[in-house]
Amino acid sequence: MLDDLRSMERVMADDDIKIVAKGVDVFYGDNHAIKSVDVNIQNRAVTAFIGPSGCGKSTFLRCLNRMNDTIDVCRVTGDMLLDGQDIYAKDVDPVQLRARVGMVFQKPNPFPKSIYDNVAYGPKIHGLAKNKSELDEIVEKSLRRAAIWDEVKDRLDAPGTGLSGGQQQRLCIGRAVATAPEVLLMDEPCSALDPIATAQVEELIDELRQDFTVVIVTHSMQQAARVSQKTAFFHLGDLVEYGETDKIFTNPEDPRTESYITGRIG
Amino acid sequence: MVDMTELTGMHSGASAAKRTASRRAAEWRLKLYGILAIFLAGAALVALLWSVLGTATGALTETYLKMPITIEAEEIDPDGTGDPKIIRRADFTGLTKDMLKAEFPNATGRTTRRQLYDLTSAGAAFELADMVSEDPSLVGQTIEYPFLASDVTDLYLKDDFGKLREKEVSGLLSIAVVDDEATVTSSVNDFSEALGRVKDGLIDEARVLRRQAALQDNGVKFYERELEAATTADETSSAEAQLKTRRAARDNLLAKAEDLERRSTTASGSEELGKGNLSVLIKAGGGWFKGTQIDTSLIEADVIIPPTEAIEDSADWQLFVTDLPENARKVTDNQIIWIESLKEKDSVDVVFNSRFFTSGDSREPELAGILGAAVGSFWTMVVTFALAFPIGVAAAIYLEEFAPKNKFTDFIEVNINNLAAVPSIVFGLLGLSLFLGVFGVPRSAPIAGGLVLALMTLPTIIIASRAAIRAVPPSIRDAAVGLGASPLQASVHHVLPLAMPGILTGTIIGMAQALGETAPLIMIGMVAFIVDIPQGITDSASVLPVQVFRWSDFPERAFEARTAAAICVLLLFLVVMNAIAVFLRKRFERRW
Repeated sequence: MLDDLRSMERVMADDDIKIVAKGVDVFYGDNHAIKSVDVNIQNRAVTAFIGPSGCGKSTFLRCLNRMNDTIDVCRVTGDMLLDGQDIYAKDVDPVQLRARVGMVFQKPNPFPKSIYDNVAYGPKIHGLAKNKSELDEIVEKSLRRAAIWDEVKDRLDAPGTGLSGGQQQRLCIGRAVATAPEVLLMDEPCSALDPIATAQVEELIDELRQDFTVVIVTHSMQQAARVSQKTAFFHLGDLVEYGETDKIFTNPEDPRTESYITGRIG
Repeated sequence: MVDMTELTGMHSGASAAKRTASRRAAEWRLKLYGILAIFLAGAALVALLWSVLGTATGALTETYLKMPITIEAEEIDPDGTGDPKIIRRADFTGLTKDMLKAEFPNATGRTTRRQLYDLTSAGAAFELADMVSEDPSLVGQTIEYPFLASDVTDLYLKDDFGKLREKEVSGLLSIAVVDDEATVTSSVNDFSEALGRVKDGLIDEARVLRRQAALQDNGVKFYERELEAATTADETSSAEAQLKTRRAARDNLLAKAEDLERRSTTASGSEELGKGNLSVLIKAGGGWFKGTQIDTSLIEADVIIPPTEAIEDSADWQLFVTDLPENARKVTDNQIIWIESLKEKDSVDVVFNSRFFTSGDSREPELAGILGAAVGSFWTMVVTFALAFPIGVAAAIYLEEFAPKNKFTDFIEVNINNLAAVPSIVFGLLGLSLFLGVFGVPRSAPIAGGLVLALMTLPTIIIASRAAIRAVPPSIRDAAVGLGASPLQASVHHVLPLAMPGILTGTIIGMAQALGETAPLIMIGMVAFIVDIPQGITDSASVLPVQVFRWSDFPERAFEARTAAAICVLLLFLVVMNAIAVFLRKRFERRW
């Protein structure tokens, strides 16, 4: 039943494309990390990047909000369009871009401040709230959306670092959501979490799909199968295969994809 | 081939036990060395504190001599104006001297008078002037005023020149006074011990004379050879003349030496009491006498304080002997007697030396205080901190977070590290030529010192701050940047607060170094003698370590205690600074 609903949605949203990557190459010094990748990321859907360690999936993810700019030796060529606008164009401010394309990291990294301040920081620096009550509202909505409101509503002044790992990661998601981005990038968000916390975060990702374009990097193929509608398989810097998640997992075209999902390489 | 299963067997057995034992022994030895090192360091610290604190206690009290003084109206305010300005300008020093002369009328002659005036501090008259000018109604009255004692008086009362020891006496004393001299006789040989000491000293004198005689004898031998070798009549006569004078000198010296030796071996016989002998003082009938000529039961003495009654076969008398001869101490016999007589009258007050903590520098040890230097240090540290902290932290943030990694920034980094190793006096020279010479910053002022010390402190702060910034986990930066914070926002909002404990530690280390620095400040004139307490960063000032350096150089003995006390204040300054650092660090410290 759920699967049917999902496939219906997919059909409906198929030509609604948020991000277009054309011929993207990434170099770390002399190392050619991403080799001419073309990919169209669908709006309001979850796209999963899978592949063995060191295949470049995280690198490609970090290209989507120009986090690689902070690395001196990293060089990106090719076209990367967000809503048809080249994000590597000269007139694009990476700071503004990152407000539109939020990110959640592998290890939960709340600021060593209160839970409230963690969430309020983004809205504050981008001027999203006019006054304290608006800010309070944004914080509450974001924490509700990150499915952690009920757990922390009585201790918003407690340090964010005092929460458990799973709570911290949900707090980080809430923090990313608070800046009201269009796209949410997640770099292995569950790799440091136990199965219960993972299940909670996965459920959350599925809900976030309604408002955001979510791109998730994961090592777990089950997770990719559970949460994503589209899956891209990276191998040694190449995008080997990209398509509907069901199709990738049930009927892959490329033998490398098949070997990986059946556990023979990786 | 190594058989691994055989190797497993080596973990048990005697050889394995031996290896373990030797490893344990090495561990034990290391532990022992560590404990020894800590113990040595602790012992050194305790010894240092013990010596400094022990010496500093002498500066904790000051002495006042309470004496009645009449504020003569015709001397102080002849026209009866009651104007404080006129009163302040009056000759209170003369008034004080007159008072002392009236107190001890027997003190005559220039030298004795000067010794008498030295009992009180030169500052006492000025304090009296202040008091009377504030309350002009005192003019014409006689008041009991506590005069601040001079450093010599103060040190004598603190037994710094040895004690005045009372000797046991058994005889009955008679004293015949003629003018200022007295003949003191005891019925038994009460003075034989003191006489014995004088006679022992004669042997040493005789030895010196014999050495001089031997030198003359060498001359005699030389001219005897000259005489033999003489060829002309001129040479012969000059050698004969020389020979004659040398022989006479030698024989004279030998005769004197023999006389001294003879006197030293006979138990009786009158001897002179000079400045090189331990002084013998006698107190009887309300008067004080200082021995000049001594025999077993008879002393010729000077009358320092005349007796109030006749002394005839009296058993009520005391004999005192000093620990040091008069020429080995700053306080004279006369002064000792005057101080002792004041003490008897209960006129000596010893109180806590609050003056030391509330006044500026002075050439008179009893008037000198540390406040000027402490305030100077404070202003200098304010300037140093205000300059070095923002510049140092900004430089560290730029170098760590923004600067591109290339040859140029590498070069800058190497040079910052080199700057930390530059001797501080070089910074002083730089400050002299640049700040004073080119920019015309006022000499001896805290702003000049602060500028130089800021230059010296900068590398320490930059290096410590960079290390602290580098230690902030990159995930915090990623989180901020990922939310759309600009690099500056990420640094200021997130990295800097987390690095602050480390930055503060480095800053305090640098500031503590700057606080104890003397050499560069000498170059920019902060060794000047400054009495006033600086009111701001452009007033002339001294600083604590320079004050310690200057006081340690002064010949007055009372400065020894004040130097130690100044060191204590400097240490206290450091402790307070470190306490602030610990407090701030605790406040900023957060887990991540």
